[in-house]
Amino acid sequence: MISLAGRDILHGWGKFVLTGVGLGLLIGVTLSMAGVYRGMVDDAQALLDNSRADLWVVQKDTLGPYAEPSSLTEDSERPIQAMRGVAQAAGVTYLTMQIAHGDKDVRVMVVGADMGEPGLPGQPTHLISGRQIVRGHYEAVADVKTGFAIGDRVRVRRNSYTVVGLTSRMVSSGGDPMLFLSLKDAQAAQFQRDSDAIVRQRARTATNPQLNPPGNPAVAQAVNAVQAGNANVNAILVTITPDANPDDVAAAIRRWQRLTVYTRAEMEEILVQKLIANSARQIAMFLVILSIVSAAIVAFIIYTMTIGKIREIAVLKLIGTRNRTISWMILQQALGLGLIGFIVGKIAASLWAPFFPKYVLLLPSDSILGFVAVMLICTLASFLAIQAAIKVDPAEAIGG
Amino acid sequence: MAEGIILENVVKTYGSGETAVHALRGVDMAVAKGEVVGLIGPSGSGKSTLLKCLGAVIEPTSGKMTIGDQCIYDNGWKVRDLRALRRDMIGFIFQAPYLIPFLDVTDNVALLPMLAGKPNAEARKMARDLLDALDVGHRAAAMPSQLSGGEQQRVAIARALINRPPVILADEPTAPLDGQRALAVVGLLDDMARQFDTAIIIVTHDEKIIPTFKRLYKIRDGRTVQELQG
Ligand SMILES: Nc1ncnc2c1ncn2[C@@H]1O[C@H](COP(=O)(O)OP(=O)(O)OP(=O)(O)O)[C@@H](O)[C@H]1O
Ligand SMILES: [Mg+2]
Repeated sequence: MISLAGRDILHGWGKFVLTGVGLGLLIGVTLSMAGVYRGMVDDAQALLDNSRADLWVVQKDTLGPYAEPSSLTEDSERPIQAMRGVAQAAGVTYLTMQIAHGDKDVRVMVVGADMGEPGLPGQPTHLISGRQIVRGHYEAVADVKTGFAIGDRVRVRRNSYTVVGLTSRMVSSGGDPMLFLSLKDAQAAQFQRDSDAIVRQRARTATNPQLNPPGNPAVAQAVNAVQAGNANVNAILVTITPDANPDDVAAAIRRWQRLTVYTRAEMEEILVQKLIANSARQIAMFLVILSIVSAAIVAFIIYTMTIGKIREIAVLKLIGTRNRTISWMILQQALGLGLIGFIVGKIAASLWAPFFPKYVLLLPSDSILGFVAVMLICTLASFLAIQAAIKVDPAEAIGG
Repeated sequence: MAEGIILENVVKTYGSGETAVHALRGVDMAVAKGEVVGLIGPSGSGKSTLLKCLGAVIEPTSGKMTIGDQCIYDNGWKVRDLRALRRDMIGFIFQAPYLIPFLDVTDNVALLPMLAGKPNAEARKMARDLLDALDVGHRAAAMPSQLSGGEQQRVAIARALINRPPVILADEPTAPLDGQRALAVVGLLDDMARQFDTAIIIVTHDEKIIPTFKRLYKIRDGRTVQELQG
């Protein structure tokens, strides 16, 4: 047998390859879109993995701390710690903010981690250089993606912190790199009001006879101390003992502490199904549109290629070539175009993925799916051209 | 002499009613195996129509057509697979060679046997032998666009002959050629007819080649008139 499609492609390979490359760039964009989605899911999973928690205890009836604001007092930690099946419990705070870096600023998620003892959940992991926070105050560990280096001074709200360690892949579910502070420092940054606000608050307390009863200044002092306090955390991260069942421990905490508790699976569902669901739908829309555009382009190209060969097709039919042979020729060309397109697209997507601001994760399984989709689209797209070729009348070859 | 082609009262009417065109009104024709006949007639007289009917490209309105000892049409097609009929029984040569531009000369000729499942090497060997016989063997590896008009036409003839069809239909095959080459092509078809026992009909306007036919058919008013020459 002879491959008519292959010979035709070889004859005009320049045009064919250029078309394939064009299609490939489009496929590359499509693969990258899928990679962006996978990157978002992976960021969410990295966030959960890196916090090393089995359970998230949050403010009652909230989806905190990532999908909704959540605030609970630090001392909820102690009774949880005492519960059966709980190995460790540590408060954390999360605050996404812009911080200055030279004359630019970077968006980071400031994480307040309990550095009380090494290995508590919420502490930075994946340290690639430097060390953990050991002093109680004014030290920070930054993710490399923030751009900070060891020894840099970082200003967060009213205080400056020295970067003592760098991590990799410590990002928020939104892909923002993390900046770890000790819990106390982070609480100060998150909850402490500025001096003027404190002065005004004290003045208000002083003029309120119930909070400042005449002859008893100790009451006002106590009130001020309470108001200035910032012993809140956004969540308490809990690890469980090896023999405990996360669902059982979670149920116990819900029951006895009257707090909302999420297991790892539930947290993952909140992040993937709720937090990034809209972005995912957005990307899915893009994928659909890109697929349609690719299909239209392949259909158009294959159709024009076929129409350009109408004379030859009429001759082939006149001398007795089967419709099947001609259809197969057209289909092979469409598949060939798809193959070139896919290879170019895959290479392009891999080359430009690192330049995306957020993590782009190209999964091999997505590539395989993409390949199947491309081949399917090409098959469908060749339908129009095959239809046209079948309609060609062999009498056309004889002419008048 | 054994008959290669017999046409009896072949009628072809395009369309119907007011706009009907009576292209053939009852054509009778007989071509022996190994014989080349000319078919002439004014423009629009139905020459191409006749070739298309006999070539199983369009369906006649009525009549009877026989190739060798097989009746292919008798007020209706007598063979089911017209495509196979064309492939196995009929070689076509056109005014323009219509070679496949993306295949080289050898493969243009070898295409049919290759598509029919003959091993490539064998089909190419057949093609090269035929090209040699037609005196274009030295261009066997060229692409069609690199050939002269006369060479292209000889390749087209080789393609029509490759399956050794009992019938060859040529519609103005010498139109693009000068007198010398036109005569050479007709001489070639004459040789081929004798060598392979093929019945050949050549439609032509070409004054230079008309005298070479021993037998000539003229179409007038949709009917054929036979003329003997020489
Ligand atoms: N598909 C068709 N539908 C309708 N009428 C047609 C069709 N094809 C040919 N005709 C008519 O049939 C008649 C014969 O046409 P044909 O092509 O056989 O002429 P011809 O002898 O080959 O002419 P020429 O020498 O110009 O090639 C003409 O009047 C033409 O207009
Ligand atoms: Mg004609």
